[in-house]
This record gives sequence, structure tokens and C-alpha cells, in this order.
Amino acid sequence: MSADTPVATATYRLELQDIVKSYGGVRAIRHADFALKPGTVHALVGENGAGKSTLIKIIAGAEIPDAGTIAFDGSAKTISSTSDSIALGVQTVYQEPQLFPELSVAENVFVGRELKKGGRVDWKAEADQIQGLLDTVGLPARIATVPVGTLSIAEQQQVSIAKALAGQASVLILDEPSAILTDSEIEVLFTVIRRLTATGVSVIYISHRLDELFVIADEVTVMRDGETITTRPIGELSVREIAELMVGGVLAEARPKGSGTSGETVLELLNLSRTGKFENVSLTVRSGEIVGLYGLVGSGAGDIAGVIYGMDKATSGTMRLSGSEVVVKRPSQAKRIGIRLLPANRSAQGSFSFQSISLNIVIGELGKLSRVPGWVSGRVQRDIARDFVKRLAVKTPSEKQPISAMSGGNAQKVVLARQLVQTPKLLVLAEPTQGVDVGAKEEIHRIISNLADDGSAVLVVTSDLGEVLRISDRILVIRAGEVAAEFTPQATQVEILAAAAGDQTTEELS
Amino acid sequence: MTLDERTKPAPQSGRPAGSSTATAKRILPLPVTGQEFVLIGVLIVLWILLGIFTPAFLTPNSIQPLLVSVAPIALIGVGMTFIIITAGIDVSVGGAIMLCAVIVAKTMVSVDIPLIGAVALAIVVGLVLGVVNGVLIAYGRVAAIIITFGTANIFQFLALRVFGSSTVNGIPSTLEVFGRGEAGRTLGVPNSFAIMIVIAAVAWWYLRHASGGRHLFAIGGNANAARLVGIKVQPRLLVAYALTGALVGLGACFILASGTATLDQSVGSGKELQVIAAVVIGGTSILGGRGSVIGTVLGAILVQTVTSGVTQLGWPSQLANLFVGIFIIIAVGTDLLRERARRKA
Repeated sequence: MSADTPVATATYRLELQDIVKSYGGVRAIRHADFALKPGTVHALVGENGAGKSTLIKIIAGAEIPDAGTIAFDGSAKTISSTSDSIALGVQTVYQEPQLFPELSVAENVFVGRELKKGGRVDWKAEADQIQGLLDTVGLPARIATVPVGTLSIAEQQQVSIAKALAGQASVLILDEPSAILTDSEIEVLFTVIRRLTATGVSVIYISHRLDELFVIADEVTVMRDGETITTRPIGELSVREIAELMVGGVLAEARPKGSGTSGETVLELLNLSRTGKFENVSLTVRSGEIVGLYGLVGSGAGDIAGVIYGMDKATSGTMRLSGSEVVVKRPSQAKRIGIRLLPANRSAQGSFSFQSISLNIVIGELGKLSRVPGWVSGRVQRDIARDFVKRLAVKTPSEKQPISAMSGGNAQKVVLARQLVQTPKLLVLAEPTQGVDVGAKEEIHRIISNLADDGSAVLVVTSDLGEVLRISDRILVIRAGEVAAEFTPQATQVEILAAAAGDQTTEELS
Repeated sequence: MTLDERTKPAPQSGRPAGSSTATAKRILPLPVTGQEFVLIGVLIVLWILLGIFTPAFLTPNSIQPLLVSVAPIALIGVGMTFIIITAGIDVSVGGAIMLCAVIVAKTMVSVDIPLIGAVALAIVVGLVLGVVNGVLIAYGRVAAIIITFGTANIFQFLALRVFGSSTVNGIPSTLEVFGRGEAGRTLGVPNSFAIMIVIAAVAWWYLRHASGGRHLFAIGGNANAARLVGIKVQPRLLVAYALTGALVGLGACFILASGTATLDQSVGSGKELQVIAAVVIGGTSILGGRGSVIGTVLGAILVQTVTSGVTQLGWPSQLANLFVGIFIIIAVGTDLLRERARRKA
């Protein structure tokens, strides 16, 4: 980082050109240009997998690009570690606050770069500085002494920003800061951001909520399939136009029209609420029908699945299964009445890593596989496993392989097979193809479709736009914990994305 | 000691109390925590009750041996507090005490080694054992409980090899300044207890005021975030285990001194549980990120008071285990409930 030649005419705080980055054989970023002006808010948007996080990691020094140049204030720099990036004034506020719950707010702000006097921490100097920092991020000075663990998520985020500022940030990256905040908390966040930009700090703002960009951003860069598609002043675009740029012209082929419209109602939710997560959600899923629940990160769609399966409790509203009211208190009860859930996080909630494929498939029904209660027949277990390995085209030399040895797509098929050992009345799938390659995704969609054709009611919770259009008979869009709109699979990606991201006009049209 | 500290929390209190000085006092972690006040209260009540029911309890003849028995537990507990604050644990201290004690005892029997030499030998041996633990845990990145469970067995094996026969006999009185006798007291206070208090006070200051100490709390609270803010996590962990090792060495001297001229193979046995009990009862969170040396000292006093009290009351001695067990469950239970309440909020 020596011999930097400052360019007098530099207008950009940070400029990335011709960035390329691959992981293994996968091109995460095919070509990206990004230019950040001083004292502005620059929004970075794109669908999941468009390359936003990789680009951010490159700026933060967590990833090193394969090609391309990075310049700060007009002079070329090499960023080869996070500390290089921090030294250049880049600070990142992650979606999950990276804080120390037991330590006070003040200590959290200064930890790792304590002000010192002799061998000890200079509490007085820290106390002097903390006042100003907390003031800037909109927190009262008295909060300095409180353990961070007792604060709300919104306040923790403000502390994270204060921490970034204590690190002399000139470029502040905010990774989906609004996803976890309420509307009034977002207002506070925006006030803080405006205060920072007024002092010359540049902000890179990542968000899925397109409507708020028009309130806070100066410019927007859209990414799609690993490329930066365009950078424009926000005033030149509308929510709909941004959505169009994000999804491109890709059209999904839907399930045959008219599938699953005739069956009996299996699941019925009436004004179901879970405080702080979702409010007054009403929906029905019929036998043979696939209903897609589409929502962006933090929309509350995933929480609805959790309540249906009894992982969380509803705070109000009713749920009916095949006409009779049920209160599902725990997953074992949900299972007993014929509900199955494919959890979103396969490694944390779905698989028993060191166990064999066959055990992973039958684990939920062990007690029912034999005539002798409590006895697990190896033969029955093997037969069931072999049957599913064949039916779901799981690629493995043997059903005895541990699931940890399999690729994401095959492991997901195994976890899915577990839900099908006893044909479910209602199958709830959360992000069924996340982290799954394209081929396996196709096959999983086919399996889900066949299951519905055989009479199960299916609810797919997903933040994958292409997926929801492909496999749903009906699409419900969840935004801010409410059912914002309903679509047929003939809707366009743009319409759905606009509804999910908060374009009021689309909502009325539907 | 604790109450005095509370009245003058910040060293710069000589200055006029400006608003930032006031805040400086408050951004400091509290010098004495709520749990420590509870412990002090419990101790006072216990001592009064014991004083009423066994009049001999509140006499020097009873208190002095109690403090002698507290000293090694609290001393090693200081190191254990550092470790548990980082969300680690060391279950090898029992084995390490045994190894230190037998090496020092055998050396004293065969060579005419002065006091300072015996203490230095014990500390060096303990330090080496602590460094072994620390290196494996910090740089090998294996769970502390697994590593120290393993080294506990290895230390015991080595100690038994050094023992050779079942006991070491005829240990000279080199270490009597740490012992139960008259030579082990200054102005009526056992020297080992006084030394423990001095070391605990330094440790208390370090955890509260030195950045290195604060980093231990950060590591225990969120090791990943600690790494992100540039804290050198591995060396800090190594230091915590090495310190504990060194304190085990000194503690082994205290234990040797308070025993007879014969050392048998039960030395150190179960001590790791007493030490961990003292730390946990003292309010240090087993989940890491929170804890205090004062609590540990109080916890050690409480554990030994219960043990000694049960004996003096003429109750069956296993009741001591019952009471200590209840104290541990209450301490850990309140900690976990607190943590769960916070997660929900």
C-alpha cells in the first residue's frame, strides 16, 4: 500500500473496477463496477445469489478478488485482509450484531481499540468520547453503562454503528439493516444515516426493501447473476423498474394451470398472529394444492411455518386442520395430526450429520416401523431407505453413507424423504432448495409437485422468486408480517417482487 | 475488603467530580456484583447461625484452619475464574495439584531445598502443565473440557509414576510458613490466606481495568466478534490456562504445608470440583463473558464454611456435599434463567 499516487480530480471515496471472483468453479461475480461518492448513501440491490454479499466481502477485505482494481480517494489500494480494509476506513455493520452481550455499551464500542493510560483502560477518556458517539447514533448517553445484552435489536444495531464510527469509518457498509427493524426504528436509523452522510461518511446500503431506498438512498446499483447491471440516481427509477432490473427477463414455467383447485380444504389459518412476527394471517391450503408463501428476509413468512408446526406459539387467531380447530403446542403433536415440516436450515435443524442416510430417513417414524413396539428393524429401515433413494434419485453408493458426506442437493432430498415416509396430510417446506444446485432443485420441485398430485396439501415458504412461480398453484406475498397480496402463477416476477418489496400500487392492482 | 472498594470505585476520584468522571465510574463494570452481596449475606447468616449452635465456631482455633483450607481453593479459583470467563474450563487442576505436590515433596525429601526453591519448583511445574493445556486448547482449537479431561488423566499417571510407592514419607517442614501452625500465621492471619488475598486483588484489578482483562470477557461473550475487532484470542486463552497452572503450583505448596509429613495419593483428588464450585457459586457464568474474582473468593469461603460447619455441628459429613450441590444448582440455575430471559427479550 505504498507509492500511492493521489489523483487530484478524484470524485469517488471508493471505486471498484472490473471485479471478478470465483469460488471453485462457480462465478460469484462475473463483472462488477462500483463507485461510491463521498457523503452519499449508495444502495446495492439484487436477488439472493446475485453477488451482493461477495462484493461487500471484497470491500471489507474478507474475500480477495481474482481480478479487478480497488481505489480509495483516487489511489489504487490492495486489500488483502479485513485489517487492511479497516485501516482504509471501511467498517461493516452486519445484520446480526457482532457484540458482547455481558459488556456495557461503552466497552462494546471501544473493545479491541481501548483508550489506554499506562497499563490500564482509560475509562474517563472513553466516557468523554462515548457521549458524542451515542449522540450521533441517536442513543441517550445514560445507555453507555448498560450491558448490551439487555438492549433491543434496534439499539444493538445503533451500538454497532457507534462502534464502527469509533473506528474512524469513512465508508460504512450496512448489510440489510432494516430487515430486523420496525418502521419507527427504521426512521431512527435513517436519521442516523443522514447525520453521518452530512459529516462526509459514505454509506453502502444493502436492502431487499425497495420502497425504503427512495427515502434514504442517493444512488442505486443493481446486481444480477454476478454482474452490476446499472448504477443510477434513485430519482430516475421506480420500485417496478428496479424490480425489473433485478430479475431480468427470465420467465419461469409454472405448474400446469388448474392443478390443485378442487381438493378439500386441509389447512385454514384465521387471523393468526404471533406478536412481533406476523399479524392477522389468513390463508387456506387445499388437498392437492401447492401454496407458495413468498417473503423477503424478515418478512415473517418463515415464522408462520414455525407456528403451524408448533415450534412457536401463536398469540392469537385460530388454525384448522381438515375443518377441526387445532392448537399445535409442539412438533410431536403436529406430526401426530399429519403435518410435516422441512426446516429451512438443513444442517442445524434437518440432518443428523454423522448418521447414515437410512437412519436420517426413518428417524421420525422409528416407533412405527415394526410390529413390535420400540423395536427397530434394520431390514424395514433399509427397505424404506432404498425405496426413497430410488424414488427421489438420491445419488449415493449406499444408503449406509453418512449424510455429512453428501452434496447439498442430495442431503436435502434425504431430509425431504423423511417427511414423506408417512404421506403427510400437510407438508410445510421452508426454503426447500436453498444451497442446492440447479439439477437437484428441478428434481425437488418435481417431487413436491408429485406429492401434491397424490393429494397432500403443500405450503412452500420461500424467498426464491423463481421457485415460488414455478411450483405454486397460488402465491401469497408476505410483507412486514402481513399477507400483502395474492397472485396466480401467471403473475410476473416483477409484480410479485414489487408487492413483497412494498410498492403500494401493485397491491391495489392485485 | 469488598465494601471498602465499593465506596471508592474509580482511582481518579481525587479529581473534582465532573459529569464525564461520573460516567467513567459508571461505564466501569460494577466493582461488586449483586450476586456477591447475596453471597456476603449468606455467609454472614451462616456464620451467625454456626456461632449460635456451635460456640466454638467463631474462635480463632476454628476460623484459622478454615482460612487455611480456603486459601488453595480460592487461589486456584482465581485462575479458574479467568478461564471460565473466556467460556473455557479446566478439569485437570486436581491432577496438576497431585503432580506438583508429589514432585515438590519428593525433591524436599531427597534434597535440602530452601523454601523459595520449593515454591519456584512448584510454580514452574504448574506453569508447564498450564501451558500444555493452553496450547492444546487455544491453538489446537479443541474444546477445553475434552483437552483438560485428557490431561487430567495424564497428569495423574505422571504423578503416580513419581510417587513410586503409595506414600511419600518424612517431608521436611520447609513449607511451614503456609501451614496450619504458629509459623503459618502473621498477626493471627494465615499467611497462605493473605497471599491468596493479595493475588486475588491484583487479578481483580487486572480483570476490571486492564485491556487484557477486558478482552477475556469479550472472548467469553462472543469469540468470533472478538476476533473481528482485532483481539488476539489465542494468546489470551493461553495466558489464562498458564496462569491457572502457575497458581496450581503455589496452591499445591499450600496444600502440602497444611498436611502432615506424609503425602498420600489422594492429594488433589476432587479439588477441581471444589475449585469450579467456588467459581460458579461466586457468580461467574459457566457460559462465559461474566464473572469476578471477589465472587470466587467468597464462593470458596462459603464452600469451606459449609464443609467445616457440618463437621462442627456433628452432622454426617456427606451433608456438606448436599449443601454445596444445592448452592451450585441455585447459582447456575439463576444464571441460565437470566440468560434465557435475555434471549427472549
